[in-house]
Amino acid sequence: MSSPFSINGGACVAMRGKNCVAIACDLRLGLQSLTVSNNFPKIFQYSPTAFLGLTGLATDVSTVSELFRYKVNMYRLREERDIAPKTFAQLVSSSLYERRFGPWFVSPVVAGIDGKSGAPFICGFDSIGCIDYAADFIVSGTASDQLFGTCEGLWEPDLEPDDLFETISQALLNAVDRDALSGWGAHVYIIEKDKVTKRLLKGRQD
Amino acid sequence: MNHDPVAWGRPRDDIYGSYNPSYLPPTRQPYSSHPPSHPTTHTQSPVVTGTSVLALKFSTGVVIAADNLASYGSLARFTDVKRLRPFNRNAIVGFGGDVSDMQYIDRLLLSLVVQENYAGGGESVTLMNARNLHTYLSKVLYKRRTDFNPLWNALLVGGLDEHQKPFLAYADLLGTTYSAPSLATGFGAHLAQPIMRKVVPDEAAAAKLSKEEAVKTIRECMKVLFYRDARSMNEYSLAVVDVRGVELKEDNKLEAESWAFADQIKGYGTQTV
Amino acid sequence: MAALSHHHLSSTAPFAFQQAPPQNHSGEPTQHAFYPYTDNGGSTLGISGKTFTVIAGDTRSTSGYNINTRYAPKLYPIGGQGPTHKGSKIVLSVVGFAADGRALQERLDTVVKMYRYQHGCEISVKACAQRLSHILYNKRFFPYYVQAILGGIDEETGEGALYSYDPVGSYEREYCRAAGAAASLIMPFLDNQVNLKNQYEPAAVSGFDKKQLVPQPLERPQVEELVRDAFTSAVERHIEVGDGLQMMFITKEGIEEVYFPLKKD
Repeated sequence: MSSPFSINGGACVAMRGKNCVAIACDLRLGLQSLTVSNNFPKIFQYSPTAFLGLTGLATDVSTVSELFRYKVNMYRLREERDIAPKTFAQLVSSSLYERRFGPWFVSPVVAGIDGKSGAPFICGFDSIGCIDYAADFIVSGTASDQLFGTCEGLWEPDLEPDDLFETISQALLNAVDRDALSGWGAHVYIIEKDKVTKRLLKGRQD
Repeated sequence: MNHDPVAWGRPRDDIYGSYNPSYLPPTRQPYSSHPPSHPTTHTQSPVVTGTSVLALKFSTGVVIAADNLASYGSLARFTDVKRLRPFNRNAIVGFGGDVSDMQYIDRLLLSLVVQENYAGGGESVTLMNARNLHTYLSKVLYKRRTDFNPLWNALLVGGLDEHQKPFLAYADLLGTTYSAPSLATGFGAHLAQPIMRKVVPDEAAAAKLSKEEAVKTIRECMKVLFYRDARSMNEYSLAVVDVRGVELKEDNKLEAESWAFADQIKGYGTQTV
Repeated sequence: MAALSHHHLSSTAPFAFQQAPPQNHSGEPTQHAFYPYTDNGGSTLGISGKTFTVIAGDTRSTSGYNINTRYAPKLYPIGGQGPTHKGSKIVLSVVGFAADGRALQERLDTVVKMYRYQHGCEISVKACAQRLSHILYNKRFFPYYVQAILGGIDEETGEGALYSYDPVGSYEREYCRAAGAAASLIMPFLDNQVNLKNQYEPAAVSGFDKKQLVPQPLERPQVEELVRDAFTSAVERHIEVGDGLQMMFITKEGIEEVYFPLKKD
């Protein structure tokens, strides 16, 4: 439990649907078993349709999310366009590998829709930037085992946005309820080509 | 107090007299060669060891093999140790692990066979079958691990069960047991099992396999093991158990070895090109 | 230094070190004690219904990354007659250290058979469950390294009865429980699908006034499908789970066994 990845706790999951993607996270921030905050979102937006979820050491979650804000702003200034999710994933990967021998203690998840083609995209990373492309779902955080179970059991191909919302919400809520270090509510983003819906879920408060 | 580095902390013999060991717990091992006043000793790691044992079921019986080497660490110490021990006409045991523990178990088995022979010699009386033998051995092993005094072996029991059908099972120092159409201990689990499982992926395949095919597969596996297991040798015992009884040959030599692949191996720091 | 001159005496002392104790130069901790446990992997689960209980387990046995065998049952009928457990209506599942599991099964089976011999009637699941707890607790300081689940029929109500245990005998009656290597994957799925956790009535008003769905005992076909889904999911994401799925349905008529192949990779 002294692993930097499990001091603060937290969970994040992304899923692919039919012409849409979803990404969700819990809201807990803790110090070992003591809950410090129940409003610590772990999902950050970097373009109209590119999102990043970060679990792991909370200080690194904050720092890395700010680092990417800076990097994506620089990208936008230089390129005069929004960053595509696939490009953003490469940026995340190379930025993490830059710290190969003193890594950020985070497990990132990228979810988004390509601005031009409208293709849904999700991927996950280890803490040193190895990309895990997936056609179904990506999980991360202290509840990752539980999330693997619920996602593998509930997810199916080509879900419509509403059904995808229900699936990812149930997968997350039931997973974090079996993890002592995650929970206390959730944020869920449903990302379509021209629309992003953010919902706040009230989960168990224990 | 004795300050001798090899007896530090003990009462000095010149002052207190030599230590009276009669207060020590008596040795419990029935076959122990220690005088009873010595402390109980447990095997905490194996000393002279045998490597893999392989076995395969076929339509009417079981083939089992193990090489004749007993190693002392990395030293090939004894080259004529027979690690397949026939029990009766129904069963045979293959031993991996500590050789002295093997010899102890062998004495247990001998006393069982003697009892069985006193009870009628096997013609009129139902003989113990391979399943009975495996159950017995696994209970001995489990009891010893529970007493923190393990018998440091992994064994395969092969032969015929109560219905004269092929039987093959594993047991080890922890009391772990399992059964499968093909089994291997030690390195064999890594190197030989993949080859054997190609031949007998399941019980149905084993029920169709001929004795000749099974023997051929086992011989091939022994060769692979000799190529890659540094604690193996090219002389081995091989036994076939079926309704005709145990047919054991203890001086098999590896045939048609091919070291042609050896000069293709590059790396490991010894070659520069 | 006087003591050192008595060196020769030490060679006769029963405890003298004839050899110096092994020195460890590698910097790694020296391993000396025999470790009496191992983990044989696999997973089990149990669900109780209105008139039945199902206990399920995969049939793979592992040690480390090796597959020992593809068929090693973790489900044991308890009691009944003879070595085939004819007429038994209690099933024990054990996952963890298989040798301890086997020993535990034999202990409980003997106890249940002795109960019938002494009392002339079958033991109740409730009593059997408590006895199992005691057997486990009796080895509190050298535990059976297993997670056990016991299933049967509650003879007072005729409903399915399911009990789950920790290795030292702490136990509880539940409607559903997953155990073993993939328990953390399966359990939240079961919470959701069996106990309807986090599910609310769709027709009710939105917001905080939504009503939690009340779990109802499931029918057998639904349960069988859930068990298969739970295991095929676990097989995808856990390397120690696979090869085959064994299910035992316990009803007032007895035990019905179902086998279903799983992926062997």
